[in-house]
This record gives sequence, C-alpha cells and structure tokens, in this order.
Amino acid sequence: MNHFKKIRIIIISMIFVLILSACSTGSGKSNACGQSGNKFVFATWAAGEELKEFNEIVDRVNKNADGEYTIETLSIPSDYYIKISTMIASKKTPDFFWMTQELISKYSKLGAIADLTDLMENSEHLKPEGFYEGVIASATYEDKHYGIPWIANPLMVYYNKDLFDEAGVQYPSPTDNWTWEDFISVAKKLTTEKKDINGNKYRQYGTVVDGWPNIETFFWAGGGDIIAENGEDILLDSEESLKGLDILNEILSSNITPSYSEVSSLGSNNVWFEKQRAAMFMGGIQDNFEEKLAKLPAEEKFEIGYAPMPVGLDGEAHAFDWTASTVMAKGCSDNETAFKALEDLTLEFFKWKIASPLEGQVDQIAEIDPLKEPALETIQHALQIARSANYVPEWNEINNRLWVELYTGMLNDPDKYDYRAKAKEIAKYSRDLIEKRK
Amino acid sequence: MKKSESKWRNIQKGYIYTFLTLGSVVMLLPFFWMISTALKPDSDIFTVPIKWIPSVLYLDNFQRATEVIPIFRYMFNTFLLAFLKIFGEVFISGLVAYGFARFNFRFKNTLFMVLLATMMLPYEVTMIPSFIIWSSLGFADSYVPLSLPAYFGSASFIFFLKMYFETFPKELEESAIIDGANYFEIFIRIFIPLSKAAFITIGLWSFMGTWNDLLGQLIYINTPEKYTIQLGLASFSNMTGETLWGPLMAASFLALIPVIIFLLFAQRYFTDGIKMSGVKG
Amino acid sequence: MPKQRVGFYFILPWLIGLIVFTIFPMLAALYISLTDWSIIGTPNFIGFENFKAVFQDDMFYTSLFITVRYALFAIPLTIGTAFVVAILLNNKIKGSGIFTTIYYMPAIVSGVAVAIVFKWVLDPNYGVINSILAIFKIDGPNWLYDPNWVLPSYLVMAVWGASGGLLTYLVGLKDIPRELYESSDIDGANFMRKVWHITMPMMTPIIFYNMIMGLIAAFRKFTDAYILGGAGNEGTFYMVYLYDQAFSFYNMGYATALAWILFIIILSLTIIINVTKKYWVHTG
Repeated sequence: MNHFKKIRIIIISMIFVLILSACSTGSGKSNACGQSGNKFVFATWAAGEELKEFNEIVDRVNKNADGEYTIETLSIPSDYYIKISTMIASKKTPDFFWMTQELISKYSKLGAIADLTDLMENSEHLKPEGFYEGVIASATYEDKHYGIPWIANPLMVYYNKDLFDEAGVQYPSPTDNWTWEDFISVAKKLTTEKKDINGNKYRQYGTVVDGWPNIETFFWAGGGDIIAENGEDILLDSEESLKGLDILNEILSSNITPSYSEVSSLGSNNVWFEKQRAAMFMGGIQDNFEEKLAKLPAEEKFEIGYAPMPVGLDGEAHAFDWTASTVMAKGCSDNETAFKALEDLTLEFFKWKIASPLEGQVDQIAEIDPLKEPALETIQHALQIARSANYVPEWNEINNRLWVELYTGMLNDPDKYDYRAKAKEIAKYSRDLIEKRK
Repeated sequence: MKKSESKWRNIQKGYIYTFLTLGSVVMLLPFFWMISTALKPDSDIFTVPIKWIPSVLYLDNFQRATEVIPIFRYMFNTFLLAFLKIFGEVFISGLVAYGFARFNFRFKNTLFMVLLATMMLPYEVTMIPSFIIWSSLGFADSYVPLSLPAYFGSASFIFFLKMYFETFPKELEESAIIDGANYFEIFIRIFIPLSKAAFITIGLWSFMGTWNDLLGQLIYINTPEKYTIQLGLASFSNMTGETLWGPLMAASFLALIPVIIFLLFAQRYFTDGIKMSGVKG
Repeated sequence: MPKQRVGFYFILPWLIGLIVFTIFPMLAALYISLTDWSIIGTPNFIGFENFKAVFQDDMFYTSLFITVRYALFAIPLTIGTAFVVAILLNNKIKGSGIFTTIYYMPAIVSGVAVAIVFKWVLDPNYGVINSILAIFKIDGPNWLYDPNWVLPSYLVMAVWGASGGLLTYLVGLKDIPRELYESSDIDGANFMRKVWHITMPMMTPIIFYNMIMGLIAAFRKFTDAYILGGAGNEGTFYMVYLYDQAFSFYNMGYATALAWILFIIILSLTIIINVTKKYWVHTG
C-alpha cells in the first residue's frame, strides 16, 4: 500500500507542475516583433527550386540593408496554413508571411494580421493607388489594406494559331471584345475528330473546362457574382449569376471540352493545350507554355496566340486574378524598421515573377521572360480587367459547397444536373452563415 | 499412399504459387508505375495510351531530384530520428505489454481501456495544444518532441504485444519462478527470445512511423537542415498546384528503398520458423 | 492469474508518458470543444453550443454514414484478405520470403503516395483497372467520378492495402506447432477443417487486435480520402469533414466537438467488442 501511495503522490505532483506551466503560457505573452537586432522571420510556401530563388532575393536585400535589419526565411513546404495558424496559436507568429487572397478577411477579422493602410499610404513605392484596382482589392477587407500584393496573375486566353488556321477560324485580336457567345462558337468550330501519327482516332476540343476556370469566372460572365461588395448580400442566386451558370452549362454540355473524368488522364488541364488536343486554354498570364513549347521537338511545336477573357452579359470582360500578398504580424504594426524591411523585399519581388502588381511595370515582364513578349498587349489588358471575388470570413465554407456540390455536380452530369436549384440552396446556406455573423 | 499424397501436395502448391503470383502483380503494379514515371521525361509521363515501358531510360529525374532537395541529407536526418526512437519505443512497449498480459493488478482492465482510448481521439485536435506546450518549454524546431514520447511506449505496439504475449501458456513462467528468477529476468530471458518476430514487426512499424510522418515533422521542424524525407518530398509540389512528377517519383522511389531493405531483413524472421513444439497448444 | 503488484511497475513507463504527454492535450481538447476557438483568434467559452450544433448538422450525419458504411465492408474485407494471404504464405514454399515482402509493400507507402497512385489506377479512361477490363470488352465504371462507385473505389484501395495486418498474422501462425497439423492429417482432416480447428483458435488474439485496430483505422480514415474525394460528396468521410472544419473553416472548437463524438462512438464499439472477447478469444 505504501508503494501505491508514493506513486500516487508523484503522479499528482506532476499534474500540478504541468498545470502551472500551462497557466504561465496562457498569460498572453504577446508577440514582440522580430528578435533583437531587428531580425525578422519571413514565412513562405516556396520550397525546392523556388526557395533557392527566394533565398537569393533575401540575401540580396539583407546585403543592401547593411545591418539595419536581417530577414530570415522560414520555408513551409506543405500544409502551409496549418503551420502558420499553429505558430499564431502559440504566440510565435512569423513577422511576415505570404497569404493567398481568400484568407485575408478571416485572418484580419480574427486579429492575427496588421492593418497596413497607413503604412502603405505613407510609403514611397507601395501606395495603394499604385496597384491595379482589381489586384489591391483582393488584399483589402472593410476598406483597410491588410496585405501587400507582390504578384498578380490574371486569366487570359491562350490559343493555338496552327489549329485555328487548320479550321479556317479568324484569330481574336490581343485586346478583343469578343463575348462568351463568340468564344463558344469558336470553340465549336475547333472541336473536331482527328487522327494521330499512329492512325488512332482522337477528338480535338475547342477548350478545357474542368473546374478551371473557377466558378466566379462564370458568375461574372452572366453579370453576377457570389457576394456583393458590401460583404453582406449574397448574389449567387440572382438572375445574372444564374445566367452565368447557363453559360458554363452550355460549355460543358456542348462537347467542346473533354469530360471531367477525362481531363486528369493526361495529368492536368494544361497538358491538353500543350499536346494540341485543345485549341484554347484559359490560363494565368504566368503560365509557362512558351517555355515548355521551346523544349519540344519541332513537329510538336505550335504558335501561341493571345486574347483576353471574353466579355460578359454585363458588357464587361473580367479576368480572375490569383494574387499572393505578404501580410504582417499584428505585433509588428508599430515597428518602422519592420515595414522598411518588408518594403525593400517586396520591391524585389516585383522584379521576380510575372507579373508585378504595380501599374506601369508591364515592360519588365519581357526582361523577366523574353518568351512572353508577344503577349504583352494582352497581359496589360488582363491586368486592367483583373478581378477577384469579395472575400468574406465565411468564404471557405461557401466556396467549398460551390465546388463540391455545384461545380462538380455540373461537371459530372452536364446534361441533367439541376444547377439552378443547387445554386439557390447554397445561396440560402450562405445567407444563414452571414446572419450568424451578426 | 505416399505417392498420391505428394502429388496432391504439388497440385496444392501449384495453386498457391499461381494465386500468390497473380496477387503479387496486383500489389506491385502501382510501384511499377512509380518507377516507370521516374524514368520518363516530363512530356512522356501522361501520354495516351499510357506508355508502360519508357522508350528511353531517362535518368535525369534522379539527378533533378537531388538538385531540388538534398535528398540524402534528409534521409540521413530521418534515419537519425528513427534510431532515436526505435529502441526505446520497442523495448518499453514490450515491458508495458508484458505487464498488461501476464499480471493482474488493480484497475488493469480500466487502464488498458484507457490505452486503447488514447488511439481513438484524432491527432488533429490535440496537435496544436501539444505544440503550444512543447514550444513554451523551448522545444520548437527540435527532434525532442518527436522522439521523447517514444521512450514511454506506443499504444498500438503495446496492444499488439499484449495480445501476442497472451498466447503464451500460463505455465511458462512457473518453472523459472521456482528457480528463483524475478519477473524482469523472465521477460528478458524468456519472453523476448520467444517473440523475436513480434519485436521485429514492432521495430519495422516504428521505423515506418518515423519515415512516413509528415504533419508531425512539419509542425515541429523549422530549419531546412533538419528536414526529414517527407518534408523533402513535399517540396516537389507547390501552392499553385504544379507538381514535378518525374523528379517526385524518382525521389519517392529513393525514399522507399531503406524501408524495403528493412522489410527484406525483417521477413526472414517470419519465414524461418522456430517451431516451439510443446510451448503452445 | 494471481494479483501481482509487479505488473503495475511494468506498465509504469506508459502511465507516466500518458500523464505527461497525453492527458494534458486531451484536457485542452476537451476545453476547446466548449469554445468557439478558431486557432488564430481568442477562444470564447460557449458551453455545449458546438455539440448541439453537431446534432443539427446534415454533413455530420452524411459523413458519419459514409464512414460507417465503409467500415462495415472494409473491416471484414481487410481482415479476411490479410488472413488468407498469411495462411498461403505460411506454407513451406520457396520464395515465401520474397512474396511476404511484396505483399507487405503496399503498407509501407505513405498515404499521400497511395492516393496519387490510385488516382491513376482508378482513372476511368486510361487507368489500369479499366484498361484490363477493356481487354475483356467490359466498359469499366467511372470510379471516383460516379457517386455509386466511390465506395467500391475506396474498398479496392482498402483491399490493396489490406496486407498491413499481414505481419501480425504471420507472427501468430509461426508459433503454431507443426505437429498439430500433422496429427490432424493422420486423422484425415482436410484443409478447411485444419484452419478452423487448429489455426483459428490460436489466431483469435491476433484477429482481435486487427479488429479493434481496423475499427479505429476505418473510422479515422483520412489521407487518401482527403486527396481523392469522390463524386457527389461520397468521399467526405468523417475525418475529412472534421479536418475541413478545423483547418479550412477555422472552426477548431466545432471540429474538436466532432472529434469527441467520434471518440465516444469508437470507444463504445470497442467496449462492446471487448465484452465479447471472453466468448471467442482463446488465450494461453
């Protein structure tokens, strides 16, 4: 009995010690910015080769800073947001980190990232007005800027000039005002049966739609949207949005795109364009088709043409823009050196990839990738019509249902799926979510 | 009598071989695809119809794999972590299993239920509180949180060894007790030698657990020099969804080799049987 | 067995580890389930609101149904497959070592790799299965793209990976003395009788182990389902839904409540199986 008593005492005292240590961590030691000597941690999802380029840029910036500050890279190769949110929960938020546009509203609402509006407006090179309108909007929540976009990647249409010639179809111009109706009729003309070098029959499609472009593109095509700019009104069951879904449905059921289950058999959607089995592809301005084609043997190469995204039923063209921003930890907002470090690094990012989100830097693109020179006119146009959805904190829940239920429902069964009913169902769900917010 | 008996035996063996070989093809097919992809240049990977055997042996992917990540360094790190864990985990799990299997003590059944219960709560919801505790004790970016708990046994290993130890007859310890041995000696000198295959199995599982763990290692390791192999493999696909298939398959295949070697080493213990007649049954 | 305190000392390392490493995060998880914690925000105590919400959540029932249905098929399938393979491998045939390695290989690959590979294997147009079916002029199904074929898709993956339990059966089979089989041969027993009367009783503890582990694994199925999904929400297993709630929607409090409910379900089923243990598990 003595033994058991001893052990019981040891166990209870261990629990006691643990509770004590936990309480001390819970006592809100708030996150100081950086470490002594102005060392700032910059978290990124870059890994492998991208990380090497990233580190080169950081080294360059650190060298120029000449001791005023040092930026340290933290690479997170997988499950990026799980690690970031875990670090935030343990009060070790990285001083700066990359963030994609749909999460900025959530992180800012929950108080994890700093409001950069004043810092940006008072800066020399990062004034909000200097960015493309659609791009800066994606890093803005409730009229405050929480992220500094460092790249803009809006959509445009890549097309295969050789296949257009074969079918006798006229090229769209680099800044064409063609509508979705035009797009669909062109795609129909480019869909035909062909034979490959071995004599096997295959089908050449006008375009590829397999979940990409995203569903926002089609809501906009009808003149609608998912949620209004005020962040409260759900629009996805409006007549305009539903007409946009009609356009998507027409594409999916007219056999001008490979079926959903067929697309991944070639790996991914872009491969269809590269292997000349789809004549048009809606891809980001960054997509490196030119680079890939340059590596192909002569008989597989073709000439790429560029055109903008089609004009929607509201009379305007919209290009979905994928933008990554850098955000700053809440604790850093008063630290001027921190913002200076961020600014210096961001200016280097602008020269790194396609495309810089600042207006007037389109010519830089030809320096970064000379192969993109023929596309510059269309790229400029795409940046000007860049647009993203109005992200609200409930975005992920709504988008998840839009994808899993609405979009894949349409993809798997284009002829029979009742997408209008599903859109209305998801609209109601979204309204309930927004109600709960209040 | 004996001739027809051995003929029947041979027919039986024939059936078994056929079935096993067919099954082997099924089991290996995905691995064959992995190697096949690793040996193709990017443009050949997704062709229609699928090219099973690459037209040219393209070894570049293996080189690219080592350029994208320092794969051998990462494998070494993972070995290090695995070795830190394996002996503690296997031996202590054995001790604990022995206690549960061969003795009766107060609350034994309840405690065993608790042990099973610890496997039922998803790791995802205890992961962040665990991390907060470790990190506040100063162990962020370290192998300690990943290896120290191993020295206190692992629930699924304890469970398996307990069931295994329960198959031994109760009388096994009796003669040793009469000779004056204590229970610890009995465990070391009698139970461990009789359970070689079981311990090898646990050892393999421990190694595999370390080798294949991604999320745990992701949360607790920051500096790239300390990366383990799974973190390295994750570097082949990025946030925008682009994957370098060729190098990834090459790297994945390289990463499999140590585990396969361990497995080849381990399987000897299952097939050379030490048939202990009279011990069981 | 007589009561012996010595046993308690043997399990002490585990007990200490339990208290130091496990109990505390579990208590934290209990508290979190009573809050609206979003990981990156501050937690606010909301009592049993999460649990109430779970029982009104359609996705809870859907994902639970999908998981239970999968478990009902997968558990017997995987145990049966592994057991049969183990019995076959246990014969003194040449090359059983190589076969053992080959059959165990599916278990050594990480969940992510399995998902990637099976995305191709189950490809409706050019995947392995449908290509082979095409040789026999059968039009293969759309697998993961057809809501009715999502469950079979995951069962195919389960059978392929069933050999995870293979080693445990081999370990047990090894110990069955050859004489038992030989003497029953003399009595004229055929293969099936031998398996039922000799092999099975000695294997029951190991089967018990695999049953419980299989139950836990089936209910906690996650990695491949998260990557592959399945048409019409059919691939949304319970853990996939939980993970989304925790890390995509940042409803960690709600997700933790889901976790505790899963915990209770698995625990109850395990206790039931444990109660039946004395009726069919044969111990030395």
